[in-house]
Amino acid sequence: MNKKSLLQKAVAAPHVMWAVLFIIAPLFFVVYYAFTDKDGNFTFDNIAELAQASYLEIFLRSLCFAFLATVICLIIAYPIAYFMTKASPKTQKILIMLVMLPQWLNFLIRTYSWMALLEDTGIINNLITAVGLDPVHMINTSGAVILGMVYNYLPYMIIPLHSVMSKIDSRLLEAASDLGCSHFKVITRVVFPLSMAGIISGVTMVFVPSISTFYISQKLGGGNFDLIGDTIERQFQTAYNYNLGASMSFVLMIIIMISMAVMSKYSGEDDGGVIV
Amino acid sequence: MNEKKIIELKNVAKSYDGEIILDHINLDVHEKEFMTLLGPSGCGKTTTLRIIAGFVTPDTGDVVFEGTKINDVPAYKRHVNTVFQKYALFPHLNVYENIAFALRLNKVSEEEIYNRVEEMLAMVNLRGFEKKDVNLLSGGQQQRVAIARALINKPKVLLLDEPLGALDLKLRKDMQNELKNIQRKTGITFIYVTHDQEEALSMSDTVVVMADGKIQQIGSPTDIYNEPENAFVADFIGESNIIDGIMLDDYKAKFSGQIFDCLDKGFNKNEAVDVVIRPEDVDVVSPEKGMLQGVVDSVTFKGVHYEIIVTINNFKWMIQSTDYVAPNQKIGLFIEPDAIHIMKKSEYSNMFGDYSSFSDELEALSDVEALEEEE
Amino acid sequence: MKKTRNIYTALVFIFLYMPIFVLILYSFNSSNSTSTFEGFSLKWYRELFSDSATLDALKNTLILAILSALISTVIGTMAAYGINKMQNKYVKGSVMSVTKIPMMNPEIVTGISMMLLFVFVGVMLGGKSSLGFGTVLIAHVTFNLPYVILSVMPKFKQMDKSLPEAALDLGCTPIQSFFKVELPQILPGIISGLIMAFTLSLDDFVISYFTIGSGFETLPIRIYSMTKKRVTPDMYALSTLIFVSILILLLVSNLVSDKNKEKMSKQAKKITKIVLSSVFAVIAVITLIVFIASAGKETVTVNVYNWGEYISDGSEDTYNTNLEFEKYYEEKLKAQGKDVDVRVNYTTYASNEDLYAKLKSGAGGYDIIIPSDYMIERLKADGLIQQLDLSKIPNFDNIEEQFRNPFYDKDPNEKYTVMYTYGVIGIIYNKDKLAPADLEKIENGEAGWELLWDEKYKGQILQFNNARDAFGTAMYALGIDVNNATDEDWQNAYNKLLMQKPLVQSYVMDEIYNKMESGEATLAAYYAGDCLSMIANNESLGFFYPKNENGEYVTNIFADAMCIPKDAQNVEHAYEYINFMLSPEAARANAEYIYYASPNSVVINNEDYIDYLGEDYDLIYDPDFNNLITANGEEITYIEYMFNTYAYRDLSDESRAKLNSLWEGLKVDSASFGSGIYIICAVILVLLIGFIVYKYIERRRHRRLYWNNAAQPKVVVSRNDFNSTAMYDAVKAELEATKENEKK
Repeated sequence: MNKKSLLQKAVAAPHVMWAVLFIIAPLFFVVYYAFTDKDGNFTFDNIAELAQASYLEIFLRSLCFAFLATVICLIIAYPIAYFMTKASPKTQKILIMLVMLPQWLNFLIRTYSWMALLEDTGIINNLITAVGLDPVHMINTSGAVILGMVYNYLPYMIIPLHSVMSKIDSRLLEAASDLGCSHFKVITRVVFPLSMAGIISGVTMVFVPSISTFYISQKLGGGNFDLIGDTIERQFQTAYNYNLGASMSFVLMIIIMISMAVMSKYSGEDDGGVIV
Repeated sequence: MNEKKIIELKNVAKSYDGEIILDHINLDVHEKEFMTLLGPSGCGKTTTLRIIAGFVTPDTGDVVFEGTKINDVPAYKRHVNTVFQKYALFPHLNVYENIAFALRLNKVSEEEIYNRVEEMLAMVNLRGFEKKDVNLLSGGQQQRVAIARALINKPKVLLLDEPLGALDLKLRKDMQNELKNIQRKTGITFIYVTHDQEEALSMSDTVVVMADGKIQQIGSPTDIYNEPENAFVADFIGESNIIDGIMLDDYKAKFSGQIFDCLDKGFNKNEAVDVVIRPEDVDVVSPEKGMLQGVVDSVTFKGVHYEIIVTINNFKWMIQSTDYVAPNQKIGLFIEPDAIHIMKKSEYSNMFGDYSSFSDELEALSDVEALEEEE
Repeated sequence: MKKTRNIYTALVFIFLYMPIFVLILYSFNSSNSTSTFEGFSLKWYRELFSDSATLDALKNTLILAILSALISTVIGTMAAYGINKMQNKYVKGSVMSVTKIPMMNPEIVTGISMMLLFVFVGVMLGGKSSLGFGTVLIAHVTFNLPYVILSVMPKFKQMDKSLPEAALDLGCTPIQSFFKVELPQILPGIISGLIMAFTLSLDDFVISYFTIGSGFETLPIRIYSMTKKRVTPDMYALSTLIFVSILILLLVSNLVSDKNKEKMSKQAKKITKIVLSSVFAVIAVITLIVFIASAGKETVTVNVYNWGEYISDGSEDTYNTNLEFEKYYEEKLKAQGKDVDVRVNYTTYASNEDLYAKLKSGAGGYDIIIPSDYMIERLKADGLIQQLDLSKIPNFDNIEEQFRNPFYDKDPNEKYTVMYTYGVIGIIYNKDKLAPADLEKIENGEAGWELLWDEKYKGQILQFNNARDAFGTAMYALGIDVNNATDEDWQNAYNKLLMQKPLVQSYVMDEIYNKMESGEATLAAYYAGDCLSMIANNESLGFFYPKNENGEYVTNIFADAMCIPKDAQNVEHAYEYINFMLSPEAARANAEYIYYASPNSVVINNEDYIDYLGEDYDLIYDPDFNNLITANGEEITYIEYMFNTYAYRDLSDESRAKLNSLWEGLKVDSASFGSGIYIICAVILVLLIGFIVYKYIERRRHRRLYWNNAAQPKVVVSRNDFNSTAMYDAVKAELEATKENEKK
């Protein structure tokens, strides 16, 4: 029996080996490069370099952009996820499909096509001028970068919110209105606290990619709003400063770990809460 | 009994996707009444309750509350509260906050909330449970919290939707008593939905038997049991032998090839009727003394009595008797005139009352199915 | 209420689909503009099917997605089984946490961490070709694994534990029991894991970007290198096709499953599920067969790594260089008695630095690369390219004398490169938007770099998004020698750029095409060939070479040349390819396509070519450039002088570090950018914290009365206790009192 159960566990061995080789080891290398110089000597210089005002500003800016994008996603997604639960199961299925469908197209090309929309002589401005209004400068602004983030990651907010909300027992909503809640109070007093798990997972799924993105800001921000992702990418692809890049990645990981820890404090443990 | 009407349903109808759920029903609920809506699953009893609560809008007809039409009053403005099937306690709130929920909506002072919640907790005997997580309570405790939560706003009417369905038998009996007590003490009108006839008979002032979206009979538990209006009611409430018969004249009925004296009158001469005879009202006697003779098919010991299946003229009778008879023994049946109840023929005639395929297990199975369908 | 709900939903969906509509619309555009619609046409769909590079990328993407999905599903299912059997909570917990890391970690960190691993291991194993198909595959399997495990695990958890026991009881061996009882139970989890892995891998860009090697390009990577330049609408056409086919697939599967629910039994549902999954499997197998079949034939592959849009590729009925080479070389080999397929594996990069990063990180395996001058110096110094045997390139004689031995490859007896094109940086401007005074200056040949620092054009100037070229503009403007700059010079150039920053609309590379052609920007410095291409698309654009006060051209000249990397696998074929590129047809076609200057005498003197260029000929081959001047006592052409003086040399490590850190500083510095965002952020944050604090205080207030008073729960069940409490009467009295109050 003992031998058998050992054998059963051994089935997981390939994965465990894989994880050690390709998850743990690479992270070890990030830490290794972050704390060594070009010749492989131990140093804190890379981390210290990040304390420069300019890099601090990049981190702060990335945090701000990602935070705003997350908040906007939440504000847009919450009502729509709620409305979706009110539709018939068949419509719900179709709506979810429609929410996820754009994700099947590569995000690079979708972001690129936003450029065509937002440019000063782009489609939106053509429409605006056709109506007789003054064109609005949109591309290469911080707003455009945040819009790109919101656009790309909105589905990752809608889906977990919807899946949690659709699991709320409809009798709870009835009970609330039975006890005197108006429609609005049903939402604030019952739906909102019960959808907290969805909010947490949606926020995570939007915040993490937003803070680390490196394409959206280049295209929609015109290279004027470098974020952490852009800076890391530049270290690896053009500046060959692996050590600095690794140290930035290291700090990014720490930031994300901290924010996740803060959020999971509010959510409690949920195992395997994957979407789709 | 107080005769003041608190709720009136007038000609209320409801259908979903072309399927008729409620077929133009009329119902009056009086103050301080304990009324039970009884019927098999799908009979429309829960829909009736939800129409009163305001979760469902009737297609036609009016809901009147204390003389005012309330069709368009949303649920949260009605002076009616509900104890939900499976309780629907808020999982994110503890016991105290669940009960205080309704009060918190109305800016009631903390002190008053405290007093009233404690009162309610005392009433449902849950003092000391304030901080408990509702998800960790037993079924019976959750039930009490649900009742306290519904009562804290002092509703005029409390609606209970199969509140005891999920409890085990012993606890159910206890809770029936408690509910009855609470109703008596508070004087609140209860409208109680169940498919359990025993529950209905033991608790209610008035029982409303429903089937197929229609009200079959309204009456006190004894009326319903003793004077069922049709074969459905007779079968649904307790055990019955329902036999085709002919009303020869007032007080004279013919069935199973014999003529019997009875206490019923007012039928046409030679009108075909359903005859109901309760199993416990039949006396087993020796064949020669019996009005009817038959051979015992089977005998089952039930504790208080034996359950005997006898075949007479191809009809299987069920008889409950404290005396043992052996299978295949020939026996006689003796029926007093007051044991015979005559009913007009209805759409339910010939659907019930024969015990040829009867078995306890089947009955239990169909109960389970009924429960599952409700969910 | 319902109406607002519907309107809101509709608005969100419009937001989600707007860019996709744009994309579909422009896939039918008859011109290649992505900002104006000039008429309906299907030509981009035709282009798509003749664009072998894109189709190859599509194929690669599918192969990668299928392989990685299959591998991760097998490993992941096994892992889920094993993990589920683990009893030790801590072991199980830590295995699960490690498993989830790739889900939680930002993609970019996962990507670079794996890249660092592969590079390190590659260096350890001899520094050759550490990145390749294998590494992307490993990376994809790694980030797929957690999703597979998390979708299979719950199925194992939900499974009735007595089921396998029952199977064993009835006589199954454990293996039979797994396949007959357990597997069918977990199959839905496996299938959804497989599909999720497949789609994730299909769409991944970031992780592939860092771990991909040479000669293997996935669709997202190809799109990325395209968006750096200009996305040709055939990519839109491809996206439209993908979008439509997925839409149809989803609709069909939705309809089928709906019908199931209404009419069919569970078995029928199962059957459709099996059908769907077998369709999936068949697609997988077919793709694999195609892959194996094409790999199975004896194939000669030439791996070419070039700049994006830097070869005549057959689009819009042009000469398809790679295809022609394949044909030509196949015939030639046939004549030698070898019947093989020749395949050019053509991939692209967006900058010299990208190329260098790839070579340096060990993504070898390229046979031909086409870097620029200063990069060639560095590659030579690093020993990454090999010396050429000119006897194998007879067409080398076509190269004009003055371009045979440029500064980066001076020794006539030791050739490393063959020049492909050269070009000069000039300034492109929009005639409609420039002030008349400035136009006149340009007209008179008096305009210089200062135009790019003119306050009048604030927000309309584009600057290079590339450190070397951007600093170059500042240094030429300041009259600094770009190749011998002192620290002070660097600092001055930096200050100059910092001054320019508020005027700059954006830092761009090939995005300039869109921005100039659409009239979005007014002024920019860029490579001559590209500028002329833009002018061809928009007549109001003009172009000049900047001069200094002495009326001399002071601007960068650059050359791109073909080289063979040291670790090339098919050197013989590489020679053949270079030689072919110098042949009259190929060289002319490329010169016409790229619009850069050609060093090839058979091109320059070709009448058709001269006709083709028309007025542009004198701009590209400015006659002044051929003036003879005397420098260091030697008589050379002005163009040679420019090469010697203004072309970028490879910088010392020190200067490069300096340049990079100054560039970082410039990019990172954002004095111009408002603090509004920070204020909004702060306000929201304060509101959020306020809300949380308010909730906390409210809860404290709510709990004040009962939280500490509440006694331990008594035993409650006793009914008698309940009946006898006097509490009831109190309740009743109280209720009646309130009722009376209400009446009053």
